[in-house]
Amino acid sequence: MHAPEPAPGRGGRGGEGDLDWLLDRVARGDQAAFEAVYDALAGPVYGLICKVLRDPAQSEEVAQEVLLEVWRAASRFDRAKGSAQTWVMMIAHRRAVDRVRSASAEAQRDQKSAAAAGIVSVDEVAEAVEANLDRERVRRCLDSLTDLQRESVTLAYYGGYTYREVSKLLSVALGTIKTRIRDGLIRMRDCMGVNW
Amino acid sequence: MKLRHELHTLTGAYALDAVDDAERDRFEHHLNRCQSCSHEVHGLRETAARMAMAVARTPPAGLRERVLTAAATTRQLPPVTDVRPLPPPRGRWMPRLAVGVVAAAIAVVIALGISLAAARRQLDEARAQQRAVAAVLNSPGVRILTRRTSLGGTVTVMVSLREQKVVFTAAGLPRLPRAKVYQLWLLGPPRTRSAGLLPPPSVGGTTPLLASGLARGDSVGVTVEPAGGSAQPTTTPIVVIPVSS
Repeated sequence: MHAPEPAPGRGGRGGEGDLDWLLDRVARGDQAAFEAVYDALAGPVYGLICKVLRDPAQSEEVAQEVLLEVWRAASRFDRAKGSAQTWVMMIAHRRAVDRVRSASAEAQRDQKSAAAAGIVSVDEVAEAVEANLDRERVRRCLDSLTDLQRESVTLAYYGGYTYREVSKLLSVALGTIKTRIRDGLIRMRDCMGVNW
Repeated sequence: MKLRHELHTLTGAYALDAVDDAERDRFEHHLNRCQSCSHEVHGLRETAARMAMAVARTPPAGLRERVLTAAATTRQLPPVTDVRPLPPPRGRWMPRLAVGVVAAAIAVVIALGISLAAARRQLDEARAQQRAVAAVLNSPGVRILTRRTSLGGTVTVMVSLREQKVVFTAAGLPRLPRAKVYQLWLLGPPRTRSAGLLPPPSVGGTTPLLASGLARGDSVGVTVEPAGGSAQPTTTPIVVIPVSS
């Protein structure tokens, strides 16, 4: 009656609401809450960055930047715009692709081999932090996409490519890639039961 | 409208950061005016985050320590606040400086009144509690436990199961905004009871607080609550001390 409970996660899974709540605490300088956020999300942050950058040393560096940014900018997290998990992963992905797209990194990267790897290694190389329900579900949902949808989505997200680059890599028209990424993601969303 | 439709189909690529900077700017401009687009983007971003969770990897040893150490010495960004224009001065005949001086004077008078009343009340309470506190401290088997809180500072409890009482003091707790207060709880398996509000921390620490009705299995906890306290904790305790074994 008197006070609001911590808001439940929008995704309706256990733990997400807790993370939202923890991040609010982090915004107020709560270091214990930050440790809890780290323990929950450092694995996915590092894993995602590795997926995009591939170079472990560089990935570690970017992961450190990202996690520190979570601490620094926690007051900017707005749960009306998405879950804490999503906010953190957005920062991680953006930083990773920024690194990839900076001119020097561009020159170093062998696009072709990375592209091929992006398609085949959606999940088999990743090392489990713990029994990972998301992994199973994502694998199953990716399998439900058409080949073009799956390739487009994974190259864009795990590969860190722009949809223009994806279009070129797959030799498919730009407009087609754009809609396949959207269709594929929508199908993933519905398959994984994301409530938004 | 073709252009609009073209932009709308960019939701997926945008949610995955698969657009270049110019496109991102253009699309964000569009997002501000297109509610269905922004709703779709939210859902697709949540979806992408799940894809990230699926590729989790154990971070290198040492990263945790480095991040936590860096955080401890990094100042956080303040929240974004709405910028509102200052209200116009109420009466032009009264120079603003005078308004300020009067307001300050009123504030000082009020503050003095409050602190005097508070001092008198604290004195009374302190006298009333003195014997009870002494009874706890002198009771055989009294245990004294000190813990750090997650906000910094320490709390110390002196526990007498025999007297079923806890004497609680705190030192170095950060000052809270006016609308917040520290609240002490007895956290028990059957139920959680409020054990009172902590007086605002002064430089030396709080005055001792006495809580009665301690039961075996209880823990003592402190939470940050809205001013006036809550019937049940509404935030995670900043410290929990199991007091009885």
